[in-house]
Amino acid sequence: MDIGRHHLALWAIAAAGLFVLPSLVGSGILRTLILANYLAIFAISWDVLSGRTGYISFGQPFLIGIGAYTTAILTKRFDVPMEISIPAAVLVTMVGGLIVLLPALRLRGSYFALVTLALMELCYQLVQVIRPDITGGTRGMSGLPTLTRGASNGYYLSTGLMLTIALTAWMLMRTRLGLALSAIGMDEGAVQGAGLSPTRLKSFAFLASAFIAGLGGAFYTHYLGSIAPRALFDITFLFTILAAALIGGSGTVIGPILGAFFLTFLLEWLRPLLPGAERYFVYGLVALLLYMYQPAGILAIIERVRVRLFGDSRSG
Amino acid sequence: MKSATSPGIRFLGIRFSGTRFFTAALLAAAFTAHQAAADIKVGFIGSLSSDTGRSTLRGAEIAVDELNASGGVLGGQKIVLIPADTGEDVTEGIKAYEYLAESEEVDFIVSGSIDDVSLGWIPRMREYRIPTLDTWTSYIGIIDMVIEDPEAMMPYFMNIASDEALATLYIDFGKDVLKGQMGWNSVVILAEDTAFGGAITGLVTDALAPEAGIEVKEIIKYDIATVDFAPIFSKAQNSGADFIYLVSSVNSQVVSSQYVKLQVPMAMTGVNVSAMGADYWEDTGGAGGGMSTLSPVPSVGFKLDPVSQAFVDTYRARYKDRPVMPHFNGFNAYHGVKQAMAAAEAAGGFDDVDAWASNMKQQDLVLELDGQLWLRYGFWGDDEVEPRTGRKYPHNIRFDITEPYDEASPSMVVIQWYEDGTTAVIYPKKYATGEFALPSWVK
Repeated sequence: MDIGRHHLALWAIAAAGLFVLPSLVGSGILRTLILANYLAIFAISWDVLSGRTGYISFGQPFLIGIGAYTTAILTKRFDVPMEISIPAAVLVTMVGGLIVLLPALRLRGSYFALVTLALMELCYQLVQVIRPDITGGTRGMSGLPTLTRGASNGYYLSTGLMLTIALTAWMLMRTRLGLALSAIGMDEGAVQGAGLSPTRLKSFAFLASAFIAGLGGAFYTHYLGSIAPRALFDITFLFTILAAALIGGSGTVIGPILGAFFLTFLLEWLRPLLPGAERYFVYGLVALLLYMYQPAGILAIIERVRVRLFGDSRSG
Repeated sequence: MKSATSPGIRFLGIRFSGTRFFTAALLAAAFTAHQAAADIKVGFIGSLSSDTGRSTLRGAEIAVDELNASGGVLGGQKIVLIPADTGEDVTEGIKAYEYLAESEEVDFIVSGSIDDVSLGWIPRMREYRIPTLDTWTSYIGIIDMVIEDPEAMMPYFMNIASDEALATLYIDFGKDVLKGQMGWNSVVILAEDTAFGGAITGLVTDALAPEAGIEVKEIIKYDIATVDFAPIFSKAQNSGADFIYLVSSVNSQVVSSQYVKLQVPMAMTGVNVSAMGADYWEDTGGAGGGMSTLSPVPSVGFKLDPVSQAFVDTYRARYKDRPVMPHFNGFNAYHGVKQAMAAAEAAGGFDDVDAWASNMKQQDLVLELDGQLWLRYGFWGDDEVEPRTGRKYPHNIRFDITEPYDEASPSMVVIQWYEDGTTAVIYPKKYATGEFALPSWVK
């Protein structure tokens, strides 16, 4: 595993900075940070599969939705405590996703993307017809138990969760396994030629992605206290996840986090200036311009600035 | 002197001249300072792109301007209105409430949210304890929350008659007109899949059949994103019912205009929110005739008292785009914001929520027309039992669902759109300005 002390020091500094933040900023900023943390988790979950292997998935809302609905139904309809419903939600996401989505990994390119997109839409239709008395139909469910009260508590929980997921994903990607996943994205045939099984590797990437999506979806639902299929199985939600990963820098762990924070804050900062739907237009325009200016994302811009200021002295 | 080749400042890859950048920064600072100097902050939560949301927002804007023009509130403090868009989406509604509470730290919130969105942000309201007035949501489940947990729901008020009261009076219409006058015996319910749709459907199903003697043949639920109603109307026809009861609060103009264009050979009445607004005729391309709908008061075709008429005159003079006339919730917001401020005056502000709520309950505005009670903005007492439904409605607007409606406004009226684009109130008789009519193609 290629991990140096300076890497861990940087993670520790970032974590320390995030954990002292509540004493420096108002609760309004903390609420925005909570949303940014959850979007970062969703973007990481997408990137673990698509950013590494090159299999572009539009099914992330589907995976997030399984996790969110499982814990919502268990807690709301069957009074299952969240300590049980959340792990169960993660498990169901992995198993459910595996059954439904894994066969699609045999497909390539746009076919795979289209199948995953269809699954998202299918899920929206399914909640209407399969026991709407349990799923809440197209209305969804409200009045779900929440894990925390107050901005600070919600912030610490979401930050802890995001950092844990990010650090784990980062460490994983620095192993030989992570390297092999990235290699699939570059040349799947070469990976097979090297004696590795692309199917197993892709399955692993998919399971890891589903784990993160299910976990994030479950926590997010218990943060909001409600679940609405129109907000979850929605192209806008999907676009936001993809935009966060791509604008931040896909194929990395830090990139999706940067993208998520940038997009969430952009949207919230625009709110007082453009309270209506116009802010989504500006938001989309900024995202598009940024992506056109630097397709490798914000992380690449930061890296370029760093090189200009300090020279190319990167080591490790 | 500024050089034409000044390097300026690069921001997000765009080069700004120094002067422009600092002008923008100063404007931003001035905007922030303006916000910081606000004395009383009123938040608006609702959709900024729907007639429903805009009606509440504009009603609140006019009330705020009138209060400011008369010297402000709470010792001359000026009121600033801060909008937060929900896009009629539950998750966005929660974010919007958080924004108003945490970033803007508003003192009071007026809501033009639809039922599901209100249900989404109510837990946040309970957490922040910000006095909040709902002007559109009529979901009886929220009033039940007030009954079950009065302390947590103390900041919440609803100044539209809850859907149980709406349905009860509508059953009278069913008995008197649909059954009594038209002789219809059975109905197929066509209801959107929302909290509102579910609540109204339940009430009509449980009460319309036994009380009005009308059999419910079938209930057809549809998604609010539906664009093709042809198969749904076919299913309704196949049910063999005498008429369709529509429950639609979102995109109602789509189902209405398709009903007319397809010339569905069955009468259709019910709850059609878009038909409650004056823009309905234009929205349906003139294909909205023959529809009747329940509407909270006031509505199109409703005779207005002088105070409400003055509000409409101000509204029409000020706003030239849609909705050309405020929906009922615009009136509710106009009167409700003034009542909320009066309650704050009596309570010494909004900080003591219990004191504010206690004074809000005492607000009672009676508007008369031709010497008789026409509209009333007051609230039910915590322990008062409404005699006809036999239940309590704490924090809900006071309504009267028994003739001759002299205690308060009726919970609703039925309005009729005629095929020439004119409208009238057709029920109850005290408020009627026209007669119930079927579309010309329905025999």
